[in-house]
Amino acid sequence: MDDSVPGSPRQPNGRADSGERDLAAESYGLEELLALAGERLGEEITPRTVRLYATQGLIDRPGREGRSAIYSGRHLLQLLLIRSLARRGLSLTAIAPVVAGSDAELLSQLRQLEDPTAPDPSRRLSASFSSEQLQALAYLDELNSEESDPSDQPSGLLSLLGAPLTTGSLTQKLRSRLSARSSGRSSAASSRWHRFALAPGVELHLSDSASIPPTGSRREAWLQRLVDRLREQLDSDG
Amino acid sequence: MTPSLHFRPLRPAVAADGASTLDLLITVQPPERSAEEPTQSRPPLNLALVIDRSGSMMGRKLCYARKAAQFLAGELNDRDHLAIVTFNSAVNVLVPSQPVRDPLRFISAINTIDPGGATALFDGWRAGATEVANQLDPQGLNRVLLLSDGQANKGLTNQRRIANRVEGLTKRGISTSAFGLGSSFDEDLMGAIASAGDGTLAQIESPEQLDDLYASELQGLAGTLARRVGIRIAPRHGAQLVEVFNDLEKLEDGSLKLPNLRAGQELTVGLRLKLPAWVSNQEICSVRLAWNSPGGDGRQELETSFTLPVMAAADLQGLAADAVVAEQLALLQANRQRRLAIEQLDDGDIDGAEDTLLSATTLFSLIPDSELTRRELRMLEEKRALLRQDRNLSRKRLSRESLRSRLNIWSGGDGSA
Repeated sequence: MDDSVPGSPRQPNGRADSGERDLAAESYGLEELLALAGERLGEEITPRTVRLYATQGLIDRPGREGRSAIYSGRHLLQLLLIRSLARRGLSLTAIAPVVAGSDAELLSQLRQLEDPTAPDPSRRLSASFSSEQLQALAYLDELNSEESDPSDQPSGLLSLLGAPLTTGSLTQKLRSRLSARSSGRSSAASSRWHRFALAPGVELHLSDSASIPPTGSRREAWLQRLVDRLREQLDSDG
Repeated sequence: MTPSLHFRPLRPAVAADGASTLDLLITVQPPERSAEEPTQSRPPLNLALVIDRSGSMMGRKLCYARKAAQFLAGELNDRDHLAIVTFNSAVNVLVPSQPVRDPLRFISAINTIDPGGATALFDGWRAGATEVANQLDPQGLNRVLLLSDGQANKGLTNQRRIANRVEGLTKRGISTSAFGLGSSFDEDLMGAIASAGDGTLAQIESPEQLDDLYASELQGLAGTLARRVGIRIAPRHGAQLVEVFNDLEKLEDGSLKLPNLRAGQELTVGLRLKLPAWVSNQEICSVRLAWNSPGGDGRQELETSFTLPVMAAADLQGLAADAVVAEQLALLQANRQRRLAIEQLDDGDIDGAEDTLLSATTLFSLIPDSELTRRELRMLEEKRALLRQDRNLSRKRLSRESLRSRLNIWSGGDGSA
């Protein structure tokens, strides 16, 4: 077996993946793909599952060699990610934007899922951003929220799922999405939950019915209450 | 490293006994720097290449765009960051910003680009800009290279609004160059983006030129000595600024916006002042230049003033005009005529546009013959002949040439700009 298969048994933490590998150069037949994924995931993957994901656009279309489909390292990576996220309770709609990323993003996402404490070289923590960078990113985020009509993006929040796995400034994205949401769809009550990863190993679960105060003093007070609650919890544990 | 300001009047004196008109050139000269070193000592580049892959890019254009993108990746090194973004109706960050350790990684990704769909140009720019912002290095050169062959028709498409947003990012340290390819891109939009982006404007009629363009862009970036260059002209003692022939746009501080200052390349501003009867040794005008150096902190400034000898108005008329100044002023005014001709074309007045270009040629009949004036005359004649044959192409070329007064324009080695 190729040593460089993502998350192969010889790399239990996926740490050896540098993100520099050429996934396109790897090539598997369907049987081989199923075997590799099955072994890695500890569950049987059927051809039907792969076809389903392909027809839903979650997995790139396979290449062709004569009459048989040829899969690359990227397909394997997508399959591993989809199953790992689905097992965590995410719907396929929620997973779709996550597996559409670049190879490097997919690799770092899978790595994070397998070991949330692993350092992610492709991501820069906000502490290491220069003030110029933050200003430019905040500006672009502003443009982003200004241009996007919330009604055009009913699943806007969902695209943030797996957010710690993407590059960029999470807090900015979160903030702009929250404001878009509270102004756009606050009346839609349902029992649906959204998950935001705030830091490696830390997630925020937010119900559709949660009401988030608008930006300003009320939002601040609300956030403060949350922080206080969190602090109480931590203090009582420690 | 500080640039220098030079004044060169059309006539070397002003009138002591009455009002006079003073035409002059102000040139901004880059500091001397040896020609061999730039590639070694250049600041790191942080680039995002944003490629239009809408349906109209099908075939040769996309083939060359891919090839040129590969060339670009090959020219960068591990101090540089590069991201590749493609857009049609949707945006795809093909390669997120990362150091160029292995060009092959970029090249294999570039090979997967295939055409189809609409042109979400602004969204593509924004995605590229975000990649650059993620790696923004205040000490380096941070730029989005936007390549498109079409009209923005998805997402934000309004020229003024797009330019505003691009300019906002320029202020935050990320510039944008706009490269129009073929015959159907929106030259006004691309010009506005390059201007607001403090970058290069290129209009490429044939995709084979892309390699040369990218090479020149890299060289220009490597040789950038000053960006966000602004010049403020303050006439003194009752002198009045009648006009600045370049028709420069204003920066937010009210100064006039010049293109980036690059090694080995002067910037020229032509202006006309009106002076009352002048007193000897009295300062005529002071000029302040402000800019950001790559790697430097904050805004840098330079201020200079100048004066000229005085003489009787009658004697002044007898002084020979400086041929170099006359030539440059004629060029600037011919660019103005081009802009006027474009307006007339847009109004459907082809006859008027023809007349305007014809009158531009007469600007050169009064000044000594030189290689430069001959070339300029040829260019004007070409455009005039083209007006009726190919209005679209004529307009594009006129637009590119007219913007030479205020933008870094890629000349493409075809000698026309």
